[in-house]
Amino acid sequence: MSKEEFRFIGKSIPPRELFDKVTGRFRYVGDRSAELYGKILRSPFPHARIKHIDTSKVEKLSGVEAVLTHKDVPPRKLPRRDQRACYILEDHVRFVGDEVAAVAARTRAIAEEALDLFEVEYEVLPAVFDPEEATKPEAPQLYPGGNVYGPQFGMIVEKGLNEPVIMEWGDIEEGFKEADVVVEDKVEVKPQIHSPIETHICIARWRGDELTLWTATQSPYEARMSIAYALGMPEGKVRVIYGAIGGGFGSKYIERYQPIAALLSKKAGGKSTKIVLTREEELCHAGRAGAKIRVKLGVKKDGTITAIYLKGFFNLGGYGNIIGGCGRFGEESPALAYKYQNARFEGWDVHTNHITSQPCRGVALPTLTFAMENVIDQAAERLNMDPVEFRLINLPETDTLMPLKPHKNPIYPRAELDAYPAQQILREVAEKIDWERFKGYQHPLAVEGPKSRGLGIAASQGWGGFCTGGFINETVIINNDGSVHILSGHTDLGTGSNTTLRQIAAEALGIPIEDVTIATGDTIIGHFDMIGARGSRSMTTAGHLILVAIEQAKNRIRQIAAPLLEVEPEQIDVREKKAYVKGEERRAIFLKELLTSTVKCTVGGDPRDWLLIKGTMWPLVAPGKKTRNPVIAASEVEVDMETGEVKPLRIVTGNCPGRMINPTIVRGQYIGAVAMTLGMALWEEFKYDEKNSVYEHASLTDYKVPRALDVPPIENVIIEEVFERPLDVGGPYGARGAGELAGLGIVASIANAIRNATGVRVRRTPMTAEKVLEALKGERQGEK
Amino acid sequence: MMLEATTRKMIRMAVNGQNRDIEVLPNELLGDVLRERLGLTGTKIGCEAGECGACTVLINGKPILSCLTLAIECEGKEILTIEGIGDAAKEELHPLQKAFVEHYGVQCGFCTPAMILTAKAFLEKNPTPNEDEIREAINGVICRCTGYMQIVESILAAAEEMKGTVHE
Repeated sequence: MSKEEFRFIGKSIPPRELFDKVTGRFRYVGDRSAELYGKILRSPFPHARIKHIDTSKVEKLSGVEAVLTHKDVPPRKLPRRDQRACYILEDHVRFVGDEVAAVAARTRAIAEEALDLFEVEYEVLPAVFDPEEATKPEAPQLYPGGNVYGPQFGMIVEKGLNEPVIMEWGDIEEGFKEADVVVEDKVEVKPQIHSPIETHICIARWRGDELTLWTATQSPYEARMSIAYALGMPEGKVRVIYGAIGGGFGSKYIERYQPIAALLSKKAGGKSTKIVLTREEELCHAGRAGAKIRVKLGVKKDGTITAIYLKGFFNLGGYGNIIGGCGRFGEESPALAYKYQNARFEGWDVHTNHITSQPCRGVALPTLTFAMENVIDQAAERLNMDPVEFRLINLPETDTLMPLKPHKNPIYPRAELDAYPAQQILREVAEKIDWERFKGYQHPLAVEGPKSRGLGIAASQGWGGFCTGGFINETVIINNDGSVHILSGHTDLGTGSNTTLRQIAAEALGIPIEDVTIATGDTIIGHFDMIGARGSRSMTTAGHLILVAIEQAKNRIRQIAAPLLEVEPEQIDVREKKAYVKGEERRAIFLKELLTSTVKCTVGGDPRDWLLIKGTMWPLVAPGKKTRNPVIAASEVEVDMETGEVKPLRIVTGNCPGRMINPTIVRGQYIGAVAMTLGMALWEEFKYDEKNSVYEHASLTDYKVPRALDVPPIENVIIEEVFERPLDVGGPYGARGAGELAGLGIVASIANAIRNATGVRVRRTPMTAEKVLEALKGERQGEK
Repeated sequence: MMLEATTRKMIRMAVNGQNRDIEVLPNELLGDVLRERLGLTGTKIGCEAGECGACTVLINGKPILSCLTLAIECEGKEILTIEGIGDAAKEELHPLQKAFVEHYGVQCGFCTPAMILTAKAFLEKNPTPNEDEIREAINGVICRCTGYMQIVESILAAAEEMKGTVHE
């Protein structure tokens, strides 16, 4: 079907809720009042045992209505997908800022005052901060089973296996023997803090044995499941209301503060209890995993990549798990960016006494892409090949069978890439940024006084955001007037997914978009979503399942209409509020004449399919085909050689969204991801003083997220490529996720551009003026 | 320490065109008074330290951080919050609000009221801005979602729409 034939697909329809957002009427959790205000006492030590807590003074303070310590919490752990299972409070604290105790009081001022009245005796334990150090047996141990969170983890069961996650094919020994040039290097990445403008927030309230939680969460059903499990109550008694979220980016899942609020409320007789993290708490409790990554790359003279060996240590902090660390390598994404003949990717996910790792827009992929593109560029330089030309030789294309040889670990499917125009995207990105200006790795684009300009390019790839398995429930209700209600388990984080889903349904049923409403934001509708708004999947997974449900609903209507239209059900189509004989639209019957009330179909994936059991979250999109998104980024920077300051001048990012449902929303996602990872590349610096146990980045003055003047114009190359399939097969109308995809190559392309401008490689993020100067100094002293 | 009720002072502010007499404590912040006492929750609190800009309101036409401003200082002043522009009840939007919807200058929406108010004050001073001037004007308000481009485009479009007209 050509684009012109669509009524709603490919149209930039503004999300309906924007009206409320621009008028100040959109109600976030913080806009609700609560009877009590909760505060959390946090550990001043990176690693300690709580020997004794005296709460008597807290309890005596007038206005305090509930106090909570590790002695008051149930002996069951919170199962969590993005963080390690943990007790709601424990007598063992694992990072500065870890939860020690909590209090609820009638006002915030009283709750804050109460925090000073806790008397806690700690036994301070030795701490470890470096993920590689922490793998050693002599390192301080955070968990009885060891610090390494191995590949065979479970949500509840602790399995410190001290083994890496491995992805491997071919034989790297042979591969390196065949290579004419071998490049080896390492990079180090600091944690990036998500920093949504709305900090983490919840209000808990009990009525009898029923708990209601208003919270900003990306994964409401996980919150429901996790809290119900830890508190030993039926899931149906926990209601999570989550309709408005002031930014998530991977930060807002189930965390301790939510069940803490629930327990405080319970102790206070069910009074509504609000916990809002301060900006300082927000900046010092969780972030994208820091990492140290070594890569060895072998290439032949003709540019073919013969082997790659990547070994990465990902810092999980106190409570992260592999989803926030190597992320099982983003379902092999970094490995598939190029046609590596032989490969071994080894990811060590390691607990340390740092803040907890949580997935952050792209999880480990911006980090891994930085590590890999750093050596890719060096290999191309050694071969005296242009960076674009070198990548063109090695990029896979649509239908390339990837990886080139079968995986040694069968959890990763080997299949042909579906709609993967990587080379075309690279060519168009290069053209857009005027790559012909590139004069060679050692030659800056232009030098003016102390200012030097450079160009950099990077390739990556990410998951398609498509889960056939589902683990999310969608209901389509067709009313007899032809209008449609959708009940959906997905979460709209402000990314416009409610709108794109309405567009998909309106298109499939041929009805005006105004006639499609969507209900989400409250677990009372019981539309379980196993993993929440993660992995750029909301629109693709929910959209796919909505189309499946629509197809089932149409089948029911066909059955009802067939005797009346005197044809077989298969001869009937259902569109535009009527059932009609295909090819004879006049032989029709309106739904209002056909249906007494409604036709309703619910679909959902099999929960047993889910990622951690079946092993793969993004299975084949069609037999033998897997969906991955090619990603290209190019940057132009200006570096002040005296101060080291880097100014990004232009960024071009290239992506394939399959088919865009709503181009303005897709562009908004792409630009947003670029800005966020640009912050990671250049300015956002997590700083922890290990000696004094103090965070030095605890405000938005010290932790510099990009502001309007920091972000240069961001240009997009968007290539749509779609394989025609039945509506209920694959991504909805061929669409793919967008949320994370444009950010994967930004850090890498900035690093490569800095290299071109300055002649030196900066191997640590963020690439602040200080680090650039250090690298320049190192170079002058003859270091490479 | 809690301040005694006797230290409260009655002040009068014109909030969104309406005179409001409110008894405030000397340490009470304007942002809290607007949100908690007057129910004007469109003003957001993001950092309580004057860094994120989400709490921006207009005081006598100038963008001010309501999380750093004492309510008591607002005696006799005109306060404009997001609820005071356009007419939501009649579904009438200010050209800036309309442009933010049409050009998708909004994602999660948490910084949006501050962005729109900041842009409103700015366009009154500079009705025909270029992109750099707009970026400078909104530099104090952090948006973590959009990467700012669609916000800048929204403000440019609103400026075009507002040319030669007066909007309240």
